[in-house]
Amino acid sequence: MTATHIAADVRAGRRTAVSVAQAALAKVAAGNPRLNAFTHVDAARALATAAAVDAAIAQGRDPGALAGVPFAVKNLFDLAGIATLAGSKIERDAAPAARDAFLVRRLLAAGAVPIGALNMDEYAYGFTTENAHDGPTHNPHDLARMAGGSSGGSAAAVAGGLVPLSLGSDTNGSIRVPSAMCGIFGLKPTYGRLSRSGSYLFAGSFDHLGPFAGTLEDLALAYDALQGHDPDDPAQTPSPVQPVGGLSGIAGLRIGVAGGHFAKGGHPEALAAVTGFARALGATVTVDLPLATAGRAAAFLITMAEGGNLHLADLKSRPDDFDPATRDRFLAGTLIPATWLLQAQRVRAAWRTQALAAFETVDCFLTPTLPCVAPLIGQATMEIDGATLPVRPMLGVYTQPISCIGLPAMAVPLADPGGLPLSVQLVAAPWREDVLFRVADTLVRAGVAAAPEVPG
Amino acid sequence: MTLSYDAYAVQAAALIGLPLPPDRVAAVAANLAVAAGMAALVFAVPLSVADEPAPVFVAAPAP
Repeated sequence: MTATHIAADVRAGRRTAVSVAQAALAKVAAGNPRLNAFTHVDAARALATAAAVDAAIAQGRDPGALAGVPFAVKNLFDLAGIATLAGSKIERDAAPAARDAFLVRRLLAAGAVPIGALNMDEYAYGFTTENAHDGPTHNPHDLARMAGGSSGGSAAAVAGGLVPLSLGSDTNGSIRVPSAMCGIFGLKPTYGRLSRSGSYLFAGSFDHLGPFAGTLEDLALAYDALQGHDPDDPAQTPSPVQPVGGLSGIAGLRIGVAGGHFAKGGHPEALAAVTGFARALGATVTVDLPLATAGRAAAFLITMAEGGNLHLADLKSRPDDFDPATRDRFLAGTLIPATWLLQAQRVRAAWRTQALAAFETVDCFLTPTLPCVAPLIGQATMEIDGATLPVRPMLGVYTQPISCIGLPAMAVPLADPGGLPLSVQLVAAPWREDVLFRVADTLVRAGVAAAPEVPG
Repeated sequence: MTLSYDAYAVQAAALIGLPLPPDRVAAVAANLAVAAGMAALVFAVPLSVADEPAPVFVAAPAP
């Protein structure tokens, strides 16, 4: 059942929030052993929060737009009373969070009900959620395959029907990549749009937070609840709340297809997904973005350096407590020459200038979200254009250039991928999330975009 | 002299006081080699002295 339906039922008194929470907890208990999406379930908090929503309704108060909607968060979001793991073993020693993360507080204020915390790559450094401490998260469409990462639990929990909404973070693709692998909608808003306070950062230059949902309507409902000013996040750009719920129609919008970097380096079915959506939208213009490859390289270096520096103290004192998959990258990140980092930041600015110029001729452009369908868990390499390439870094090839310069982007699933999920990335100019929702709504109404059903 | 990522990793780690056991050097060096490939891509972009780094420091929000 969608978040929109649950909220409507709870607000109208057709169901209680407590009964919805009980049903969600039962779904998690039944489904999580197969998916390994949750690392923490807090039934007592869920039921107490739901009871408070029901009490508000009984007293005639407005319970909020997300009344009774169960949600869960990547375990790098603070949840009051438990340690914020960020996928690590090291943070198990940390004190419990004193208060909820800002975005969690926003969802609670809208009447949503927290079910628990979700699995991820350690410290968000990865695209696979093959976590050495908590085990891999499995893709609901094929349990032998990855859910993607680093917000793999967030995508699998929604695609697997355990909760209708979740939150994750995206530094290089960590919302969009797992959304694509699991066949759901995921939004990475403009850099600086949503507050990050109360979340465990990875590479502050690129860290974004955002929602996952099984329908576009639910994604809009969540995003509208999440918007709001927070003086505690120095990277948030004060901007007015710009609701996207109910937006539709692409009249007046110029939509293009990204060429060059975004039109190569992927499997034929991943590239063909873009062609199908472009046809449905009548998009024929190719957008040339020659600095995208360099922009991706800049994101790679900046991420490595910022991540390595952030964890330097633990890398020195307790390296064996890291996930081996992330440790060696963090170690290398502490050692890269300063001039690489500064050159990367200058290229980042040049890439931004080029991308912003492209938005003088289009309002939105399409790219593949991923170069492939979800790989098998443990798969180390894949073949692309006859070359054998390592899986892990390749998964971010189309998402990294976009988060590098903070553009808002949405992973939109193909309704009928003809097999494992496929996804297209919609990209708009900064602060134009409204354009993403209008284009996505048009694709949904055309019948080509929707979360594909998970096989029985 | 031929560039050795292994030797660089060991020396750069010593410079920042990072313990790097011998059995970890090869994996770190491999990651540095990948990063060097990325660095080659960013250094291939022609920039002028007018191209500033992306982050812009703000002393405080303007009153």
